[in-house]
Amino acid sequence: MRDKSKPGPSETDSSVNYLDPKAQSRRDFLEGTGAAVVATAAASSLGVGVASAQESSRSARSAISLTVNGVDHSLEVDDRWTLVEVLRDQLDLTGTKIGCNRSECGACTVLMNGQPVYSCSQLAVWADGADVRTVEGLALNGQLSPLQQAFVDNNGPQCGFCTPGQLMTATALLQDNPSPTAAEVQSALVGNLCRCSNYNAIVEAVVAAGDQGGAA
Amino acid sequence: MKALTNINASSFSDAVQAAQRARAAGQAVAFSGGGTDLLQQIKDGTDPADVIINLRTVADARTITSDSGGVTLGGLIALSELAADPQVITSLTAIAQAAASVGTPQIRNVATLAGNVTQRPWCWYYRNGFNCYKAGGDECFSVNGENGQHAIFGGGPSYIVHPSDVAPALVAFDARFQVTGPNGERELNAEEFFVLPITNPERENSLAEGELLSAIRIPSVAANTFSTYQKIMDREAWTHAEVGVATVIQRDGNAVNNATVVLSGVAPIPWRVEAVEDFLAGRQINAATASEAGELAVSEAQPLAKNGHKLPMTSAAVERAILSLAAG
Amino acid sequence: MSQANRRGLDPLSVIGNDTPRVDAIERVTGQAKFTRDWKLPGMLFARVLRSPHPHARIVSVDTSAAAALPGVVSIITHEDAQVVWGAGSINGGRQYNDPTKDATLHRRYIFNNPVRFVGDSVAAVAATDRHIAEQALALIEVEYEQLPFVLEPEEALADGAPQIWPEGNLAPDFRGNLEPMVSDQGDVEAGFDEADQIFETRYETGFIHNAQMEPRCSLASWEGDKLTLYTPSQGISNCRHDTARDLGLMDHQVRIVAQYMGGGFGNKNQNQDADLIAATLSRRAGAPVMLEYSRREDWLGVHGRWPTVQYYKVGVRDDGEITAIQMRAYSGMGPYRKNSGGISGMDYYRCPNRLREIHPVYTNRTTSGNFRAPSEPHGVYGVENMMDDIAYRMGIDPVEFTLQNVRRPTDDRPYTNYSLDEVIEEGAQQFNWSARRRSTPGSDEGPIKRGAGFSFMMFRAGLGTSSAIVRVDANEQYTLYVGVTDIGPGAKTTMGMIAAEALGVPLSQVDVVWGDTDRCPYSVGESGSRTTIMTGYAVVQAAEDLKEQIASRGMPSGAGVLIGSATPVPSTDGKVRQCFGAHFVEVEVDTRIGTTRILKYTTVHESGRIINPTTARDQIRGAVIQGIGQALHENLLYDPRSGQPLTPGYYRARHLTHMDIPEIEVTFIEVDDGYGPFGAKTAGESGIILAPAAVANAIANATGRRMTSLPITRDKILGAMA
Repeated sequence: MRDKSKPGPSETDSSVNYLDPKAQSRRDFLEGTGAAVVATAAASSLGVGVASAQESSRSARSAISLTVNGVDHSLEVDDRWTLVEVLRDQLDLTGTKIGCNRSECGACTVLMNGQPVYSCSQLAVWADGADVRTVEGLALNGQLSPLQQAFVDNNGPQCGFCTPGQLMTATALLQDNPSPTAAEVQSALVGNLCRCSNYNAIVEAVVAAGDQGGAA
Repeated sequence: MKALTNINASSFSDAVQAAQRARAAGQAVAFSGGGTDLLQQIKDGTDPADVIINLRTVADARTITSDSGGVTLGGLIALSELAADPQVITSLTAIAQAAASVGTPQIRNVATLAGNVTQRPWCWYYRNGFNCYKAGGDECFSVNGENGQHAIFGGGPSYIVHPSDVAPALVAFDARFQVTGPNGERELNAEEFFVLPITNPERENSLAEGELLSAIRIPSVAANTFSTYQKIMDREAWTHAEVGVATVIQRDGNAVNNATVVLSGVAPIPWRVEAVEDFLAGRQINAATASEAGELAVSEAQPLAKNGHKLPMTSAAVERAILSLAAG
Repeated sequence: MSQANRRGLDPLSVIGNDTPRVDAIERVTGQAKFTRDWKLPGMLFARVLRSPHPHARIVSVDTSAAAALPGVVSIITHEDAQVVWGAGSINGGRQYNDPTKDATLHRRYIFNNPVRFVGDSVAAVAATDRHIAEQALALIEVEYEQLPFVLEPEEALADGAPQIWPEGNLAPDFRGNLEPMVSDQGDVEAGFDEADQIFETRYETGFIHNAQMEPRCSLASWEGDKLTLYTPSQGISNCRHDTARDLGLMDHQVRIVAQYMGGGFGNKNQNQDADLIAATLSRRAGAPVMLEYSRREDWLGVHGRWPTVQYYKVGVRDDGEITAIQMRAYSGMGPYRKNSGGISGMDYYRCPNRLREIHPVYTNRTTSGNFRAPSEPHGVYGVENMMDDIAYRMGIDPVEFTLQNVRRPTDDRPYTNYSLDEVIEEGAQQFNWSARRRSTPGSDEGPIKRGAGFSFMMFRAGLGTSSAIVRVDANEQYTLYVGVTDIGPGAKTTMGMIAAEALGVPLSQVDVVWGDTDRCPYSVGESGSRTTIMTGYAVVQAAEDLKEQIASRGMPSGAGVLIGSATPVPSTDGKVRQCFGAHFVEVEVDTRIGTTRILKYTTVHESGRIINPTTARDQIRGAVIQGIGQALHENLLYDPRSGQPLTPGYYRARHLTHMDIPEIEVTFIEVDDGYGPFGAKTAGESGIILAPAAVANAIANATGRRMTSLPITRDKILGAMA
């Protein structure tokens, strides 16, 4: 059991219900606790944000609307939440992955208003009003898109962690250019890394999808 | 990530006022265009922002307009839009090529022109949290450390290289930088806008606190002007320039009337090599001229212990860029 | 396209046919559940505070301000959570041997004092939200007394170097002896006396992070005294055993779940400290805990391939016969002995006089450990560049020089089969080696120069114990239970194919239950390229057991089932069993700007019978591309003055992108040697072994300059050309 001597939220508060965007606002909960504390010099050099002199655990919250895979959502989001966090944690769309959280790998790629973007590097509040498409939105009525089918047929995924991002970027490509050459695929997908280094097979899959009629 | 407040700005002046209010309340403020790199810096703790002023919501800042005086590029135009704009491709080729060379498609789809020009250095000391000049400290750790990616021109006391690809192309077209701030608007030329570390080691440009880059104006381009941006990267994509060169040549046949040559990846600001420009004026573009220009380009270089390889790269890049602009 | 070329064997009913992965749909629809995709009721989020110093004594840790942050539930530090992490501290890499672990001289805990590298764990926080956990880290006040540090292995062994452990900086062997690893055959001095020419060169290789796309994470949940860990593990059985040992539990009290995981390449063998930290926090907090590492933490806090310095001395007679090979080498292990520090490659040569002396050395860099073929690519780069250089200096074709000196079966060292000569000759012919290589290196006119390089390898394909269970019900539906994880190569599919073949049924009639220690028997783990041959062999034997039962008792009816199982202890009858490969690559080097491009890459492998040609092909292609990255880009640069790492992450390490990738041609020469599952051998690691050596040899052929340090970055090329 939790050490009751430590200050912390009550048992129910520690249960974060990720599926209900209307769950109790953490800001409401945190306000009134006077949570401003003095930071120390213990800055980690490991990519953890260094606390400013006066820091609380509060972040502002904003109401936004998003259309995700054709479904409209009205959400209250913490201003510091990235789009990928909202997709994964609030909307339970965990197909989109976080590989680097720094715009270096492409695992988090989604389509925002039709264009591939790194959802790790977008605050959710910036996406207010956007039309977002994720890997969960590619198959229609249980029918794989031609691109997804080509990934199945051509061994597009090895471990599969980068696959959703590769699929989203390639989907956008095929919408603009239904029959890309291998070089065009490589150029379009350059922002999606694959450490299994299954690059040859991914390109073959996208080219094959183009031959079979594109992203649709 | 730390706690943040996002404020959507409806106009640049609205943004400036919101920033003033937040700053008056003791909060660190950052303006955000695409926000890709800003978020990275906030996550890493190298940008202290408590409040982000979101500029995407500014109306009419994502446009390209032209009139008799030239072309005005809205600060919020996405790099992907800049790279695909037919007018820019045709008459400002180097700018389109530079925009297309930045990052990846996902980055270019959100990254803005103003954000690219004003992004902070990617020096591995600064970005790894060293308390260097760029972070407000009083040392450049590259001097006695790992300086393979650092400046061969214009260094001291900081030896960062300017991270923008688009900036040297803009400078090569004699761009004017439109700045909006608490005291209204002002327009600066490149020499006024970009700042060497000897003048201010902490910042790369002359934007004052609370000011932002709102638009860039390119004066009219003379007929028979040709341009290119060539970039050497450590892999085929998604690195900053190891060495880059923006070259604009106005010529008759192969006879050069005017040339502008601006380097990236080698200096703390977009680095104009006037010796090469002067040399080219009046000469024919050919292999010998280009080769000599390449040598001239590095005649004033002052390499550090581990970045001497940038000299032959710079020479080759300048030589090849000039040759690529030859007639027919 | 690019199906693999294959010759030698015809496909069987199931095996040998290009087969889509049985779980491909889950992987392309976002349904595949990776560790971070799990959500448990009441789940907390955890983060780790890490040392900002390369070497420091922790004087005090004050967690009071962090604990006061609303949302923070539990904090642990070295003071109140002293858990030995066995897999992180084993001498000599003897990870599967518990008595060795008990004898280890230098123990690694989940939190250590002193901290010994930038990234060493200091404390961990569980909170209701990942951002709050992260904020809390910054509120933990740690007072450090900084200690002198050392980054380079050779400097670490010099007199007066900072001492990372009381016994010094030479890492002890698995017996606890403070001696280098020595392998001595024949008499090298006699061999050098016999030589007409002696060549000496120093080679150096960098630190290569595994960099799998999924950063390390672990979700721990307790029910009473039973721990369930959802964790990306390359070996759930070993992870369970190691976790139980480290936490003082019985094996049955630990359940490991790892089905889909985002790659590993050796990064996720056994249990990792993240598992132990998550388990400890979860127990303290009384709630499930999801521990997440950032990409930077993963890069610095887990491990990568050890950097090496290799000094070779080779004696050769004028007729091209190698008479002696000597190597003295240093492997940088970081401050903990997580694996061997081995450097292979010398043993590919027949030369009777060989002396190898490897010093695994503690440094204050990040820890070194397994990365795909842990001991091979850097060693093969060193020794095969040495030999390539000698061949050209002596005016001999390197392929001929290899064929003259390579190790072949002998009467007292028989092989199950031997194909190296055939593999090399096939590759040379396909690639058109004699036309593409420059007999005078660097002889192309002009600044853009082409050249070709070659390398070869042999890699263990020995058999070993694993388990499998297969069940059939009255509907003739078969269920296979195997304790494998699918880290990317397609083990789930491969196991299903082997079962279907052995049972004589279509693949669609076999369900595979995998990735859960409560449901699956022991499996050897997805390391050492062993799953296909070891667990696959157990699958064959379990199927045989079931078929015998069906033959004697008939198919089950009603609610009845029949269950076959096997835990075989296979042997190769005293014979060496290896797979073989040869790579040929053509490069173009722009010697004015130092850029290297791969123009053509031809591979030929003999990996026995190929189970699934599609996935086997992509094991080779992917491994080659990783090896090209090792050759040209990847390293972890440190600031020498501060001991801080400067280039973690995909951007800084310049990982290859789609646009950097050449087409990799793959040929399998198939052989059934009568061992393993239907004659299958190892494939997963073999491709990476050859690539750095072949690429470096090609650059030398193009430029006429031998590049003696990996990665071969443009500054090195331009420095050599200057």
